[in-house]
Amino acid sequence: MFPSFPEIVQILSLPFMTRSLVTVVVLAVAGALIGVFVNLRNLEFISDGLAHSVFPGLVVGYVVAGTDGVFLGALIAALVASVLLTVVSRRGVGSDAGIAVVLASMFSIGIVIVSRQSGYVSQLEDLLFGRLLTVTDSQVRQIVVVGVIATLLVVATWRAQLFRAFDPQGFRAAGYRELPYDVVLNVAVALVVVAGSQAIGNLLVLALLIVPVAVARLITTHVAWVAPVAAVVSVLCGGVGLLVGYQASVVGGVSPSPSAVVVLVMIVVYLLVLVAYVLGRQVRLWRLSRPAAGPGLTERAEGRSDAQGRSAA
Amino acid sequence: MTVTDPSTSRDSAAAPRAGGAAASIRLEHATFSYGGAPSLADVTASIPAGEAVALIGPNGSGKSTLLKGIMGLVPLVSGSLSVLGTSPRQALRRVGYMPQTDDLDPNFPVTLRQVVMMGRYRQIGWGRRPGKEDRRAVAAALERVGLADEASRKFGDLSGGQQQRGILARALTVDPAILLLDEPFNGLDRTNRDALLTTLNELREQGVTVVTSTHDLELAREVCSTVMLLNRRVVACGPIETTLTLEKVERTFEGVGVEIDSHTVTTLPHGHGHEHTREHG
Repeated sequence: MFPSFPEIVQILSLPFMTRSLVTVVVLAVAGALIGVFVNLRNLEFISDGLAHSVFPGLVVGYVVAGTDGVFLGALIAALVASVLLTVVSRRGVGSDAGIAVVLASMFSIGIVIVSRQSGYVSQLEDLLFGRLLTVTDSQVRQIVVVGVIATLLVVATWRAQLFRAFDPQGFRAAGYRELPYDVVLNVAVALVVVAGSQAIGNLLVLALLIVPVAVARLITTHVAWVAPVAAVVSVLCGGVGLLVGYQASVVGGVSPSPSAVVVLVMIVVYLLVLVAYVLGRQVRLWRLSRPAAGPGLTERAEGRSDAQGRSAA
Repeated sequence: MTVTDPSTSRDSAAAPRAGGAAASIRLEHATFSYGGAPSLADVTASIPAGEAVALIGPNGSGKSTLLKGIMGLVPLVSGSLSVLGTSPRQALRRVGYMPQTDDLDPNFPVTLRQVVMMGRYRQIGWGRRPGKEDRRAVAAALERVGLADEASRKFGDLSGGQQQRGILARALTVDPAILLLDEPFNGLDRTNRDALLTTLNELREQGVTVVTSTHDLELAREVCSTVMLLNRRVVACGPIETTLTLEKVERTFEGVGVEIDSHTVTTLPHGHGHEHTREHG
């Protein structure tokens, strides 16, 4: 079922597969680097808000200028939404409610506009779930440019973003102002959403920002390794997802959304790593509890071996 | 209201580092507010270089407000405030701040060394990597707080006391003329407490001005020469021997149930439960 290495090279050399691969790699690396701070600052929800807010931009762009307008529309929406959401989320009290209101209203506006078009179901599908295997050369160029800009925004402010994420009070006391860094980060997130919307899909692109970093944080605790590990995980999952999607349509005769396959591969990897992590921790705790169990470990020790449980108690 | 008179406090001649100005921090009728009612009103005080001031008062009394005010992080709505002879924001690069470490995420993937290096980030600026001098400053700061051997450990794996000393090291990397500490002794064991006390006393001897909020009156006596009793205004301010008296402390904590080091002040009325809850910032 699964192709050999030369076959893989051959498949990926097909022009449309090469374009898809470049797209996935660029988005995977950008998503992993920017996702580090989405993860460390728990910005998953605001990122979701940004993704939903880009949606009406996609739709309006499409309605006004067809496929060519999608990108520009998304870009404008992203910049407006990232500034708006930065301000809303800084209001502190009830910021989740604020984000949720923005998210729901923007998405509804997008749906209302797109539903006035004829044949809107398939258009809606394209915008939401992407067309990874049919990205054009000009789309690839757009994705690379926007992805690189988004990455540079975060890389250039990396240390400040790290400080901001770790200790906001100390950050302010060191003379930094938070707002510009928050805007930069949210713009970077929005740009990744823009870059990924047409290929991966407006909603699924969020997974590239969130899942690989979650995997990396289970694998390593050193911040210098989180980003590279996340990028490698993301690129590998993207490549495997593409191949699985290709095989499924060519060999299997079913055509799943390839970007959904990419995301599912990531989720599977996440679950496997999570299980390994939890098991590893249990084993370490159990080993620790054997010589002299602390009070908190007694129960677990009893569960495994009566003798040890008793000696611990 | 009592005002610190620079001529009566000890060490006032010791190594003035504020560009010749006698006062390291000078407040005149300073009132701070986050927008609503003032968090702290009408503070007048002059803190000479090398002085150590303890801020004592119940929760919400304005201790943190004053510390943040000195850094220019809380708006000054009336009166005046000068730090090292200039505005708080201007002086900030010579001010070290040690916030409480309780809010820090123990799973955050950083090493102690990286946390201390954060103190240098502002000076390093954009697009450059930490240089030799930055690494030396970090090593020296870690040495000073006695954590040189722990530099490569994950910050969250350190004990609470070590974390606090690490944050102090971060504040020291900027070679501060003023050190602001927010409840530095909360929940410290004896070892860490003594280590911190030693460091603070050394810094004072070098002419660093220390301002610390604390519930710990023993600390106030061991490190500080001046005390400021706060309750949304200055209740009393002056040399510790004459100011940290039972009568004045009781007046500061009036109507508020707060636990204080029992062997220092024993006759405070017990307030079970009723906590002053005007929290801010």
